Amino acid sequence: MDATLREALAARFPAVDLDQDVLLVPAADHYPLAALLKEQGYTLYVTVAASHHPGPEGDAFEVATVLRRPVRGAPSVAWRVVLGADPHLQSLYPLFPGADLQEREQLDLVGVRFDGHPNPVRLMLSEDWVGHPLRKDYAPNMPHAPWR
Amino acid sequence: MAVDQTNLSYEHPLYATMDKMPGITVATTTVDMLLTWGLKNSLWTFAMATSCCGIEFMHANGNRTDLDQMGSVPRPSPRHADVMVMAGTITVKMAPRILRLWEQMPEPKWCIAMGSCAISGDFYRDMYSVVPGIDTMIPVDVYIPGCPPNGDDLMAGLKRLQEKVEAQRAGRWVEPEGRPETAKAILPALGRVIDRDGTQTERQLRACQSMGLDGNEHRQSDLVAKSAGLLSNLLKLKGR
Ligand code: SF4
Repeated sequence: MDATLREALAARFPAVDLDQDVLLVPAADHYPLAALLKEQGYTLYVTVAASHHPGPEGDAFEVATVLRRPVRGAPSVAWRVVLGADPHLQSLYPLFPGADLQEREQLDLVGVRFDGHPNPVRLMLSEDWVGHPLRKDYAPNMPHAPWR
Repeated sequence: MAVDQTNLSYEHPLYATMDKMPGITVATTTVDMLLTWGLKNSLWTFAMATSCCGIEFMHANGNRTDLDQMGSVPRPSPRHADVMVMAGTITVKMAPRILRLWEQMPEPKWCIAMGSCAISGDFYRDMYSVVPGIDTMIPVDVYIPGCPPNGDDLMAGLKRLQEKVEAQRAGRWVEPEGRPETAKAILPALGRVIDRDGTQTERQLRACQSMGLDGNEHRQSDLVAKSAGLLSNLLKLKGR
């Protein structure tokens, strides 16, 4: 992370610890952070990955997003958001149209909803699928009639 | 049908017979024989290629194993095809589409299961999104084991299908095909998983050996029994 970006982030998000490799930001800062990074030249939407963490206090979800500058050797910036049992997050589609399919993939496999996504339907599994297979409580041999 | 010996561009048992009879240049045949001959030498294939086996299918139609010589031409549309070559893993999402394409093929039609995925789901068979074998939804005429089967294997499978078609048209009983795993087919070569560069230890070799290829207990014991000899030979060769 270069000095200019660090300054900008520290001014805009004082609560975020900038020494982490993957920044932990509150859900409300997800979209503003992406917007600020885009202004700073981080215009390449690399990936979004959601994961499910069941625990004694209920389910938790984590959504990690990676952006980088479209320059050879440029470092990337990654941040994660921790969500509760009913996971939903602001969609980055208005900033990065490339987020379209990736967010649909997370919706499909982990079940994180992205608010403001123009077409929030399943990407990989069939439209009538029940459940989200990458959740930890999904039975791996769950029958899906009539094919299994 | 006039026969000129210098001009025999294709084979038929009838020609050989006629060839041996001096003076005979004209033969009659029943329409049925002619139709059978035409049918079995123009098995146009429809590549239901869903993954890596599909690439092998494309290669099989190239010039090394030229399937055109058997009259098997790949067709892009199911409506032109006689044989559906199911090449690849079948996902639950793809299954209804495959069935729809199968229904669009005109009768008579046949199905070839190419590769372990199409036969039984292979190592994806216990996955939530994979259909364990094409024969759970479509009757299969020929199974071609392998991961992937190479062009020669596909050719052998098509030859087998030709024999079947001929026998069926002649009204002979054709034994239904069984899945190769139940027919105790030869398992994939051990060299595929072990002993590439001679760096594996004996313990690792034995672990590979007892792993079982699809998680079936009965098949695992088969595998161990059958290949124990092979393994000991291998270890001997390596001087361990
Ligand atoms: S059998 Fe092997 S090569 Fe064929 S589709 Fe399955 S994994 Fe790929």
